[in-house]
Amino acid sequence: MADAPKLVNLTVDGKKLTAPAGSLLIDACKNVGIEVPSFCYYPNLSLQGACRMCLVRVEKMPKLQTACTTVVAEGMVVATDNEEIKQARKAMVELLLGNHPLDCPVCDAGGECELQDMTFSYGAAESKYMEPKNHKDEQQWSPVVFFDRPRCILCYRCVRVCGEGMDVWALGVQNRGVSSIIAPNKEDHLECEECGMCIDICPVGALTSGAYRYKTRPWEMNHVGTTCAHCADGCKTTLGVRRADEGMEIVRGDNRDKSGINNDFLCMKGRYAFDFANHEDRLTQPLIRKNGKLTPSTWEEAFELVGKKLNEVRMRDGGSAIGVIGSTHTTNEENYLLQKFARAVLESNNIDHHRTADFPALAAVLSGKQEITASMRDVYNAPAILLIGNDPTEQHPLLAWQIRNNVRLHGAKLHIINSEPIKLRRQATSFTQIPVGAELNAASFLAGDDSALNAITASASRENWAALRNQLRNTENLVIIFGSEIRGAAVTAVTHLASSISGAKVIALADYANSRGASDMGLYPDLLPGYHPAAKSGLTLPQMAENAKSGKLKALYVVGSNPLARFHLDSQIFAGTFVVVQDMFLTETATIADVVLPAANLYEKTGTITNTCGDVQIVKKASEVNGPKSDFEMIVRIADAMGYDVRNLVPFGRGETADMGQSRGAQSGEADRHAVWLQANNLEPKLSPFDPMAIFDEIQRLVPGYRVSRLNLLSGNDEHTQLSQSGPGAKHDPALIVPAHDNLFSSGTLGRYSRALNSVMENRNPQPAEVAAD
Amino acid sequence: MPILKNIAAIAKGMSITFMEMFQPTEVENYPDGPGPLKGAKFQERFRGVHVLQRDENGLEKCVACFLCAANCPSNCIYIEAAENTAENRVSGAERYAKVYNIDYNRCIFCGYCVEACPTDAITHGHGFELATFNASNLVYRKEQMLAPMPAHMGANAVFNQAEVNQGAPAVPVQGV
Ligand code: SF4
Ligand code: SF4
Ligand code: SF4
Ligand code: SF4
Ligand code: SF4
Ligand code: FES
Repeated sequence: MADAPKLVNLTVDGKKLTAPAGSLLIDACKNVGIEVPSFCYYPNLSLQGACRMCLVRVEKMPKLQTACTTVVAEGMVVATDNEEIKQARKAMVELLLGNHPLDCPVCDAGGECELQDMTFSYGAAESKYMEPKNHKDEQQWSPVVFFDRPRCILCYRCVRVCGEGMDVWALGVQNRGVSSIIAPNKEDHLECEECGMCIDICPVGALTSGAYRYKTRPWEMNHVGTTCAHCADGCKTTLGVRRADEGMEIVRGDNRDKSGINNDFLCMKGRYAFDFANHEDRLTQPLIRKNGKLTPSTWEEAFELVGKKLNEVRMRDGGSAIGVIGSTHTTNEENYLLQKFARAVLESNNIDHHRTADFPALAAVLSGKQEITASMRDVYNAPAILLIGNDPTEQHPLLAWQIRNNVRLHGAKLHIINSEPIKLRRQATSFTQIPVGAELNAASFLAGDDSALNAITASASRENWAALRNQLRNTENLVIIFGSEIRGAAVTAVTHLASSISGAKVIALADYANSRGASDMGLYPDLLPGYHPAAKSGLTLPQMAENAKSGKLKALYVVGSNPLARFHLDSQIFAGTFVVVQDMFLTETATIADVVLPAANLYEKTGTITNTCGDVQIVKKASEVNGPKSDFEMIVRIADAMGYDVRNLVPFGRGETADMGQSRGAQSGEADRHAVWLQANNLEPKLSPFDPMAIFDEIQRLVPGYRVSRLNLLSGNDEHTQLSQSGPGAKHDPALIVPAHDNLFSSGTLGRYSRALNSVMENRNPQPAEVAAD
Repeated sequence: MPILKNIAAIAKGMSITFMEMFQPTEVENYPDGPGPLKGAKFQERFRGVHVLQRDENGLEKCVACFLCAANCPSNCIYIEAAENTAENRVSGAERYAKVYNIDYNRCIFCGYCVEACPTDAITHGHGFELATFNASNLVYRKEQMLAPMPAHMGANAVFNQAEVNQGAPAVPVQGV
C-alpha cells in the first residue's frame, strides 16, 4: 500500500493514457472520461463478469473482452466504441429485455434506470421474440424490501453488497443459467438489517423500497443534501422531497452521489426513518396548560407567557432556580444559542443534556496535545483498529461499515475487546472477551498497568493479553475506538495508550446525531463552549431533578429532550415547577409541561452538526410541516419576550453579515449557490435574528476546533474538528453518562414515531439467529 | 399597357368582393345556436379541455407516470401518485393518480401531455367554455376531467366506491 503503484501505458480509442498497474481496464477508462457501460461491475465489490455490457476490443486478443475483469497491461491497445462493439452491446441489451416487462411508466426506477439508459443508447427496445413474457407477481420480502422478479437483470450487485459490504449474506441466487433467481434468506422473506443497500444498488427497478415505491418519480422531487438525524455517525444523505398538503414531505433518502464520509452507505434509519416528521401525532400548535389541561394557543400567547414566567422566576428566585435541558438532536448553533440564552438571559448555569459519552474527560486529556482524534474517514483507511466496548453493527452502522470494508478492501487489522461476542468479531484479527464492566481494567493494562489484568482474566490467557499489547504498541497509525463503557479514568488510560503509539488516534462513541455537538457547545453546568470551565458551576440534570423535588427549582426549560422517560423521573416532582418543553411530540416530559412549543426537527432546519468523531457537517432544510418552528427561532423569541435585546444574543443587523437562502431549504434555488461563496467568505449581510449562520460565526470565533473551512463545510463536505485545541475539559462523575442502547431499528423518540422502524420491529422475530458467513 | 393591366387586376379582385357580398351570411351562431354546443363547430382535432380516459373495464388508464407533467411546457399538471390495492383498485397497473390537477390558468393546449402519455390516458376533449370569474376555478381536478364509465358498464356509474366514501361525487362531474 505504501509505495506509489507502478504505472503502465495503454491506448484507448486512440488516446494514450497511463493507469496504475493492476487496475481494471474499466476504471482506467472511466478515469479519463471514456464511458464503458456496465451493469454488474460495481466499485469495491468483487468482480462478477455476468452482464457482458462492458465488452471492448483489445488488440491481439481473439474475442471481445469484458473491461471489468481485464487488468491493464503495458502497451495494450483498446477500442471501446466501434460498430462491432455496439452490435455486441445491443445484442446483450436485447437478451436482457427478452423477458423484461419494460413497464417503465409505473416502475420506480424509471428515469434513473441503467437499463433504460442502455436501451436508449443502444436501441434494442423491440423484441424479436413472439412468445408472451413470463410474468411473476411482485413479492414483498420485508416491510421495506420489495422484489419484482421479471425486472431483475441478474447483475448480482445486491447479493454482493449484502454479503461483502454488509456482511449479512441475506440474498442469494437460486438455480442456474437462465432460470437463476435472486432469493431472500428465509424462503419468501428477508431477515436482515433492512439497510436497503440492495435496493439502492440495484441498477433497475427489481428491488424497490417500501417507503418510496409508487409515490413519485425521480425528476418530480427536489433533492436536498443534508445529514442523517439519527445516530452519531453523521451519514450524508440526499433527501428527495415533494410538496404535500402540509408543507414539504420527504419521500426518499439515499446517497447516490457518493459524496460525504459514507460514500453510498446508509442504514435502515437514514434510508427510511424520516417519516416521524409526518406522523399524525406531530404537534403543530403551541399548547398552554389551562385549568390543568394542555390547550392549543397562539404563538404570541405562548411566548408571552413563557417570557413572563421565566422573568418572574429570575427576578424572584434568581437564575439558579431555573434549569435548562438541551438536546442531542439540535444543531450546534441551537445548542450554542441555548447555553448562551441560559447563561446570559436566564443568568443560570444549570444547563445539561443527556450525556452518552465522556467527551469532557477526553478533552481534559487531549487538551494541548497533538492532533489525536480520528475522523470517520480514518476508520476506512487506518491500517489497524482497536475497538473497545460498544456494538457498532447495532449502534453505529456507518462505523461498522467503514471497519468491515477497511478490513475487506485494505486488509486492516481489527482488534476487539468486548464483553459481548459482537458481530464485528467476524472481521477481527483478534477478539478478546472480557467480563462485563472490565473495560477500565483492559484499558489500564493496555496502557501499561500490569496489575489491572488480574481482574479480567485467568492466568492462562495472560500471554495473549501481553501479546496483544505488544502488537498494538508496534502498530503505527492505530485508530482506537471506544464506546461509552470507557469513561472517566478509563478515557485517560486509553489516551495514554494512544499517545504511546506513533500516529495513533482515538474516537469516542456517543449515541445521537449531535451528541458531540451538544458537548462541544457547552451544554454542561460547568463547561462553556469548547470545554472552557465556567466561572461558577450549575446543576447537573439529576441535581435539577433533586432540586425540583425539594421545591428549589422553580422553572425548567427543556429543548428537544425527554428526561422524564430517559432518567425515569417521577412526574410529581415537577408539580411546583414551571416547565416549558420544545418538542415534536407530546412526550412524557411534554405531558407534564405548562407550555409545549412544537419544534422542527433536524430535517427541517439549517445549521451544522458534529458527529461522534468530530466531523462537522451542514444540515439543510429539506422538509417542512406547517406549524412548528425551529428551536433557534423559539429561543430567540423567548429571549425577546423576556425583554432581552436579541442583538446581544444573535449578532445581526447593520455591519453584521448571514442567511442568503440556506435556511429556506428546498424552495431556494440559484440564490443558494451564490450565497455559498459569500457566506464562505463571511461577506453576506446578516439580516435576521433567526439566522443560524450568524451564530456559526461566533462559534468559529470562540471554539478553536471549529475554525474549519467554511467553503468546504457549506458545500456539503465534512470538516474534522480537533478536540485537542479545546479548553481544559473536566472530570465528571461517570454515572452521569447514560447510554441510549438504541439498536439498528430504534432511535429514541424519533424511532418511536417512525412507522418504518416500527413496522420492521413488529415484523422481526425476537432475535434472528446470526447468519453464517459463506 | 400598365394602366390596363392595373385596371384588370383591380376588376378581378373586386369581382370576388362583390360575389361574396351576395352570398348568404355564414357565421357561427354561438352561443345562440341549437344543440348542446350552442352553435359552436369544431374540427375533430380541436384541442380543448382534457379528458382522462378509462379502459374497457372502467378502470382509469392513467398510471401516474408523471410523463405528461414532465413534458408540459407550462408546468401546469400536478399529480400525486398512490398504490392500487385489492380493495381500492383505480387503474389497471400498480399505481394510479390519487390527485391529478390541470391548471387551466396556465395550460396552453399544446397537446404535449397527450403526446407523452404512454397509456393514452390523457386526451384533448372539445370542452372550451372555461371562462370564470375566479381563477381558482380553473384548477381542474381529476374528477372534472375523468371520462364517464364505458356504456356497457353503465355510463356515469359510481366510479370508485372507496373514493365516494371519502366524499368524492358519486357521479363524475363533466368538464364543459
Ligand atoms: S427496470 Fe428500468 S427498463 Fe425495466 S421497467 Fe423499470 S425503468 Fe423500465
Ligand atoms: S436490506 Fe441490507 S441486509 Fe437486507 S438484504 Fe438488502 S442489503 Fe442485505
Ligand atoms: S435484484 Fe437488482 S441488483 Fe439484484 S441481481 Fe437483480 S438487477 Fe441486480
Ligand atoms: S449509520 Fe447513523 S448516521 Fe448513518 S444512516 Fe444510519 S443512523 Fe443515520
Ligand atoms: S396521463 Fe398519461 S402521461 Fe400523464 S401521468 Fe397519467 S399515464 Fe402518465
Ligand atoms: S460490467 Fe463487465 S461483465 Fe458486467
